[in-house]
Amino acid sequence: MTDPLLSIRDLHVQFNTDEGTVRAVDGVSFDVARGETVCVVGESGSGKTVACESITKLIPMPPGEIAGGEILFDGEDLTETSEKRLEDIRGGRIAHVFQNPQSALNPVYPVGAQIVEAIRLHRDVSKEAARDRAIDLLDRVGIPEATARIDDYPHEFSGGMKQRVVIAMALAADPDLLIADEPTTALDVTIQAQILRLLRDLQDEFGMSIVFVTHDLGVVAEIADRVVVMYSGKVMETGPVYDVFEQPSHPYTKALLGCLPGQGKSMEPIGGTLPDPKNPPAGCRFHPRCPHATADCRTGDHPEPLDVGTDHEAACVYYGPGYDASVIQSDAVSESTATDGGSEGGTPADASESGGDDR
Amino acid sequence: MAADTRSETAATERFEDVDWDDVGGLGFPRRTLALGVSSLAYLVAVVYDVFLTEDALVSGTNWLFLLTLLAGVFFVAWPLAENRRLTAYYWRRFKKNRAAVISAIYLLVVFVLGTFGPMLIAKPELNVLAAYQPPVFLSVDSSVPTSCVGQAADGLCHGTWKYPLGTTSDGKGIARLVVFGMRVSMQVGLITMLIVISIGTVVGTSAAYFSGLVDELLMRYVDIQQTFPTFFLFLIVTYLFKPSLFLLITIFGFLGWGGIARLVRSEALQRREESYIQAAENAGASDGWIIRRHLMPNVSNTVITAATLLIPSFILFEATFAFLGLTDPSTPSWGQVISSGRGDLDSAWWIATIPGVFLFFTVLAFNFVGDALRDALDPRSEGDA
Amino acid sequence: MSMHWYVARRVAWAVIATYLILSITFGLLAVAPGDGQTAFAFKAATQGGDVDEAQETFDEITGRDEPLLTRYKNYMVNMATLNWGWSFTRNQPVLDAIAQAYPYSLMYAVPATLISIIAGYAIGLYSATHQYTLTDYFGTFTAFFGISIPNFWFGIMLILVFAVDLGWLPSYYQTGRGVWTVANAKQLILPIIVLSTGAIAGNMRYSRAEALEYVHADFVKTARAKGADDWRVLVRHIFRPALVPLMTILVADILGLLFAGAYITEVVFQIPGLGLLSYKAIIQQDTALVMATTLIPVFIAIIGNLVQDIAYTVLDPRISYGDR
Repeated sequence: MTDPLLSIRDLHVQFNTDEGTVRAVDGVSFDVARGETVCVVGESGSGKTVACESITKLIPMPPGEIAGGEILFDGEDLTETSEKRLEDIRGGRIAHVFQNPQSALNPVYPVGAQIVEAIRLHRDVSKEAARDRAIDLLDRVGIPEATARIDDYPHEFSGGMKQRVVIAMALAADPDLLIADEPTTALDVTIQAQILRLLRDLQDEFGMSIVFVTHDLGVVAEIADRVVVMYSGKVMETGPVYDVFEQPSHPYTKALLGCLPGQGKSMEPIGGTLPDPKNPPAGCRFHPRCPHATADCRTGDHPEPLDVGTDHEAACVYYGPGYDASVIQSDAVSESTATDGGSEGGTPADASESGGDDR
Repeated sequence: MAADTRSETAATERFEDVDWDDVGGLGFPRRTLALGVSSLAYLVAVVYDVFLTEDALVSGTNWLFLLTLLAGVFFVAWPLAENRRLTAYYWRRFKKNRAAVISAIYLLVVFVLGTFGPMLIAKPELNVLAAYQPPVFLSVDSSVPTSCVGQAADGLCHGTWKYPLGTTSDGKGIARLVVFGMRVSMQVGLITMLIVISIGTVVGTSAAYFSGLVDELLMRYVDIQQTFPTFFLFLIVTYLFKPSLFLLITIFGFLGWGGIARLVRSEALQRREESYIQAAENAGASDGWIIRRHLMPNVSNTVITAATLLIPSFILFEATFAFLGLTDPSTPSWGQVISSGRGDLDSAWWIATIPGVFLFFTVLAFNFVGDALRDALDPRSEGDA
Repeated sequence: MSMHWYVARRVAWAVIATYLILSITFGLLAVAPGDGQTAFAFKAATQGGDVDEAQETFDEITGRDEPLLTRYKNYMVNMATLNWGWSFTRNQPVLDAIAQAYPYSLMYAVPATLISIIAGYAIGLYSATHQYTLTDYFGTFTAFFGISIPNFWFGIMLILVFAVDLGWLPSYYQTGRGVWTVANAKQLILPIIVLSTGAIAGNMRYSRAEALEYVHADFVKTARAKGADDWRVLVRHIFRPALVPLMTILVADILGLLFAGAYITEVVFQIPGLGLLSYKAIIQQDTALVMATTLIPVFIAIIGNLVQDIAYTVLDPRISYGDR
């Protein structure tokens, strides 16, 4: 693989609060290649949103702080970059789409004005030219009669339409990377599918990379090239979507997939709760909930990511020396073969419920 | 919550055995009884005082103050004492705000001094010989006071413990005036709050409950009342009627409830839409039950907070009117003393300064407490700290 | 419902409110007991006013010997035709007295208003965007100070320090020092400080609270994600939406706080503006003048409310005209 577009190396992000330091992101690394779609998956509170908003420093600072690591975007370390330069990159080269379209648009300006603003912040064009482009974009994201609706206010659009407007705004300056943070979670299932298809089409057309944050494995299967599984501020497993779904290598990934209905085995909720981010457990973050935890898992640092296949890594001691990885792998096989067929049906969206709602 | 205090009995019983009426399901019988008895006693005493005695033994303002204190005991102190767990929860949230805790202690002192002080110490009296005495530990040029009550040395008159905060131009002890002023400020603040809450709640809930024409009429009236700038409304009324503390309090109370009524109405309308009210309705609860058990407790916190933040403005209004000389000159109030010291700023600075310090800190303390109450009582401000 | 219809309704309501307030005032005048009048008449006598004249004017205004309905009609017609009566203490029509007084009020109230709006909103916005910093805590504390300190006492304390002790500024206002002169500016400094302190605090608290609603709003994050700089985010994406609710406090503040504050300020500093005019009228029982000087702020409040309602329609695209 050539030079990745985005390369996050050992990123640490923490929030300094009165009650203590919350290490929301605690040593996260992953790459995003050009034109690729990477899904960051995890439960609420796993740090996936913080990790993605740290890329362009959108997290509130203070109390937030990037405590270590680097974020290489096209060879440039964004953690070291000046605020001025970051303003050019935000929206210009890295665009964001957020979870809740209802509140993502400023209620006091027409949608057109907000798209024009995004265009003119990054392109030196006249108001008229920017307006023409805004109409183009609205048309492109599937707003009917874009010319007529450009001067409407956000409250005159439905939720799905608003998300289309937000996407149009994100595309305003032809970004290289689109970070979409649960863009479909707040929408109806039918609208979700439309938005996902729209994003895929736009990616083909504009050739951008997408980082897609979600807790919905159904969406992952739909859109991802590669998957990053996060838990409690750490990366548990990364790999191509097909490999991760077919051969989940980390017990947490397996457990997560186990929550998904219609996988040919019984739905199993993950026991226990997420660890306290102010005071995470020693050793592997997942060990209190892991059925295979050994003494090594309970002490020391979180395990290093280890190769389990081509471009496929898992941070689990079972893939290191002195362990028999087949315990986990075979467990997976035995479980997936032990079909009881009792949990067919249900939509993939239901799986998202297991994670609770992210804000 | 109520079950919690009786856990010793409830714990041994099974759910279906519990006599819910006994566990506080239908209000608080003991409190209701005590409330009934005290209201009756209060009424009898007022009637006796008004109709059967030549001169009223207790002034109208003091009767109202007593009523306010009774209301405070039955509707604030008693429920808080009964629901210890809730009280502890509120206290934990309240005490996070250090300034508010200090303010509350200060206000408690002012309240106790103001309520009982005037019963124990004599009203400050005119004494020309003791005019312009400086506060204790301080001194002033001997030419300022007519005669020096404390020690006079080196052409300086030193303050004395007889008048710890000095005296005014007519020889009244400022310390005593301050204590009497505390009573006036507390009376204005607390009685007005009672009137404002009572009227505001009744009007607000009626408007929300009856809706339609009643709502329209009541709220239009509130619109008019609120359009009238409070200060000038009070000014016109105090000008036209003979000013007294009683009148002042009544004017503030009867013309100042518009904001509370609006608040109560909008809160009540909002709460009505919420699922727990619908759940209660589906469970077959009557309107009265829902209003009393579900609507009022959820609205009351907002009302108490808003009313606490109104108190300082009423105290300031009274002080301002007293300063302008538009109140009864025989009631010693902080504003009045400040006004009397205005002409002597170059010689006797303490006359205007000292009562103002108390006024300022009282108003400040109410603002701090009100602010902390909002954070502590509002169940929706959970995350904020 | 269209915007024009909405504005028309608001104007109609303002007219009705004015009518009702005038009626209520008439009612108050009609039921006002005579003894309050005599008490004040006595006061007027001791302070150099004319008792008979005071009584006469009072009867004239209230017209106690005529039937109630006739009095009401006359009163209303007089009010509507700006025939607001004769000030016996000043021997001139009430409106002339007001015309002479108001420039003095404007001289310090206008700067104080501007200062309080600009400083109040600026500090409030800064506090909101720098929440939990030392500056924010300091700002909040200052706000508590500002809303808690009694105007009249603050004025007296400033006089004590800056006029009596330090001797830097005059302790009260003297006319005849021109308008655009250094002497006039010097004697207006303290009144402006007194009047603006409370208003700054009020504006600051409200703008901070309103801006805080938006600082963490998703659309502000969207704006930052677009690449807007801090200033642009602050002005266009926080201040502009917050302006809608801030209009309320702006009007309420100018009318309530400043008018009442101005009254006290003028009495403390002896500035011969509307407030002092009204105060002297009260002391001297000049009922016609009292009524006029207290009703003017009321009318301005009604107009202010109207302006505010109309401003909403311009500022907030979400407004639904049917609801109000």
